[in-house]
Amino acid sequence: MAGLVAALWVGLDAPALSRILATPGIGLSVASSLWTGSIATACALLLAHLAIALAVSGNWQRRLNAMTLPLLAMPHLAIGIGLALVLAPSGVLLRVFSPWATGFELPPDWLIVNDPAGLSLLVGLVLKETGFLVMALGAALGQVPSARLQMQSATLGYGPLKSWLTTVAPALQQQIRLPLAAVFVFGISNVEMAIPLGPDLPPTFSVLLWRWFTDPDPTIHAQAYAGTLLLFVLGIAAIVAAAVLGRLVRRLLRISAESGTRRHTERPVRRLIGIVLAAGFTLGLLSIVAIGLRAFSGQWRFPTLLPDRSSLDVWTDVAALSASVAGTTLALAAATALLGVALVLPAAEGCKQSANTRRQVGAWLFLPLLLPQMTFLFGVQVLLIRLRIDGTFVAVLWSHLIFALPYLWGLLAPARAAIDPRFDQVAATLGASPGRRWLTVTAPLLARPTLLALALAASVSVALYLPTLFAGAGRIATAASEAAAAAGSGNLRLAAAHAILLAVIPLCIFAIAYIAGAMLFRQRRGVPR
Amino acid sequence: MRASGQKLLLVLLLVFPLARPAHTQSDDWHAVVAEARGQTVYFNAWGGDLAINRYVEWAAMRLRDEYSIELQHVRVTDIAETVSRIIAERSAGRDRGGSVDLVWINGENFAALKSAGLLYGPWARQLPNAAYINWAGNPTTLIDGSLATEGYELPWGTAALTLFFDKTRVDGMPANPEDLLSWIEQHPGRFSYPQPPSFLGSAFLKQMLLALSDNKEPLYAPAGADFAALSSPLWHWLDRAHLSMWRSGRLFPHSGPAQRDLLAVGELDWMLSFNPAEASRAIRQDELHDNIGALQLDAGALANSHFLAIPYNSAATAGARVVANFLVSPEAQARKADERYWGDPTVLDIASLDSQERAYFDALESGPATPPSGERFLAEPHASWTALLEQAWLKRYVR
Repeated sequence: MAGLVAALWVGLDAPALSRILATPGIGLSVASSLWTGSIATACALLLAHLAIALAVSGNWQRRLNAMTLPLLAMPHLAIGIGLALVLAPSGVLLRVFSPWATGFELPPDWLIVNDPAGLSLLVGLVLKETGFLVMALGAALGQVPSARLQMQSATLGYGPLKSWLTTVAPALQQQIRLPLAAVFVFGISNVEMAIPLGPDLPPTFSVLLWRWFTDPDPTIHAQAYAGTLLLFVLGIAAIVAAAVLGRLVRRLLRISAESGTRRHTERPVRRLIGIVLAAGFTLGLLSIVAIGLRAFSGQWRFPTLLPDRSSLDVWTDVAALSASVAGTTLALAAATALLGVALVLPAAEGCKQSANTRRQVGAWLFLPLLLPQMTFLFGVQVLLIRLRIDGTFVAVLWSHLIFALPYLWGLLAPARAAIDPRFDQVAATLGASPGRRWLTVTAPLLARPTLLALALAASVSVALYLPTLFAGAGRIATAASEAAAAAGSGNLRLAAAHAILLAVIPLCIFAIAYIAGAMLFRQRRGVPR
Repeated sequence: MRASGQKLLLVLLLVFPLARPAHTQSDDWHAVVAEARGQTVYFNAWGGDLAINRYVEWAAMRLRDEYSIELQHVRVTDIAETVSRIIAERSAGRDRGGSVDLVWINGENFAALKSAGLLYGPWARQLPNAAYINWAGNPTTLIDGSLATEGYELPWGTAALTLFFDKTRVDGMPANPEDLLSWIEQHPGRFSYPQPPSFLGSAFLKQMLLALSDNKEPLYAPAGADFAALSSPLWHWLDRAHLSMWRSGRLFPHSGPAQRDLLAVGELDWMLSFNPAEASRAIRQDELHDNIGALQLDAGALANSHFLAIPYNSAATAGARVVANFLVSPEAQARKADERYWGDPTVLDIASLDSQERAYFDALESGPATPPSGERFLAEPHASWTALLEQAWLKRYVR
């Protein structure tokens, strides 16, 4: 909150605002931010609902989760850089089909990546946010009597898809309003995907702001400060518009429900959606592969699919680059995860009995995710400078905690509350002290969610770019900050070299958490996963 | 007899005024070298390139052996950090024993320090090896971004804007704007330049403006009301070129390395660099295919130099001067120009060297894609032109 107030105060600078409005192409910038953010959110929401509907009714929800997990673990920046390497005219996708099918010996001069309409940015955002929303919807399933609603509707003769969309989906939608708003605001204000994929002449408004913030000329910074205010207004306006739109959609759904139309077969629709999901998943995997290929290839002329040779020089270069930032990245991730869990566990213990308190704490922690990151972080930066700790490891750690805590809370608070209090009571009747009870009874039951929470917090920290940039005053270099800087200067090969860490670290962390969880409980049965 | 007496007088007149100061100068220099013995010199220089860091390590080793000077490379990511550090030291009253003894600098950072009176000197032209520097042939050694250096910084290397191209796709040498334009129009989608206001993109605008202007004189004066008229040849050229450029001029590479990447994957046939050895280095490191040619425009390559300067509060001015003198010695400059080590063109006038020293340079092999060292250098237009050109470009091409 302090951050926001500080940001608003410094941002109120009339001459700077007028300079923003005089920037060439500013109208287009704002428009493309709004357009890409809202269309991407709408598409992702629709796809996520359809995916959950199909998966639950077709009994492959577990497979869906397995599909979305790697995409979820992958930072936006890595997916963005990877997609740029896949979709570009000289990218992996066209290399697969060239020259044998397309006849291209030279990459065609197509404006696909960084296109003015922002279509490639849209693809990237939809890919990433669908995964996030699938997870959010999946988590909300527990709060909605989906099976009963589904069955009632099916007995009335509706196909599984329509009955899901008209009965279960609206109820689920109520549950994911906060995450959805966060996705929407992120879509409008992100730089992580807009830098590698977004329009360029002019860029989206958030990228424009980011360029001003990182400009060496301090007079331009005033413009950036005032711009964060404008971004904030855009975010609020977008959320209000989305709420109105949501109401409209609900009304349409009701009309469709009241029409009573039943399709003979939903199979073509199902198949189409299945293809879209599979294509998205393939695209995500391809972009990870592309990062690896580009980072370790020396020269890589179109249309060769695999780099002809990967010289030792390139490998040592990449290793040297990675080693220098890997230490900082891992230290931040570990510190964020451990400190975050250490903060959240006692708090979760404190409100294990009151669902209301849990929801309130959650909403407060969630607040920073509902603001455009740059607006919020600019306020944080002002605060850090006042405290004279900007540019330190501690400052960056703090900013990472702010963004990791809501996820930790969302995972650990319900997990703690779900533990049957009677275990504890039984232990108490056996005369165990509270400390011993916690250690021998509660802790093992919490071990698995805690492992997952550690992995989640660490991967959130690895992915954070703007917090690192703002709190670190550009002095703390992580894989994310280096990859963003390289992507910002258009050097995709260097960006890929750094993005490897971005992709590999979260995947390894999650793998370790799963394996460790499985090892810990080999001998125990009935421990919650 | 009279004739020989006159001759003697002439000889004396010629020899003494030259020899005597030369003698005391060398005495002075001996004193400086003696004072420098045992000093530690903190050299704040950009540390973002492995090859450059290795070069500085080599210099440190040589200086330790020969002068007992400890050269410490303080690796910075942007020399502007060092400039703010020196300014901060001044406001903290640390007028002696500053933390920086030598900086690698040019352009606006030099201007900031010089105008604030934060530089030691003048010292650059008094160094023994300054005699070898190509002051007369290379105006950029004396004028740094339209500001006269006045001996407050010593040129260390020169950069000249060079165009590199794929030899299998470009034949002939389109080394003037007209030929280049017709090549672009015959090969749509294969030429581009880094997007202004990036450093290299703005340099390209200045290079083309200079090449397109018959009378370059007004470009070296502050830009004024005649900006539109003087710059119109550039806009005409760009308007036509953009139509046939990569992505029809609606997207540009963001930087030099980005464009090198595009040349490497085959999206473009051209790239630009200020370092004529850039492509050869990239080929050596397997970042580019080896069929690359290079050219500098007939009108002259836009050039600038980079320099060494000593902060006013340096704790080791003698050591810093000895280091600087070593770094412009023929031996050190030849190694710096060697593409196996760094590949940065020398600031020395090779013709002025004696045969032994010239041998260092004769031994250099230049890579397959390095242009013959240029003879015509164009200094940067007056500093006021840069911002105006950038603004005009943005107004015109960001729609």
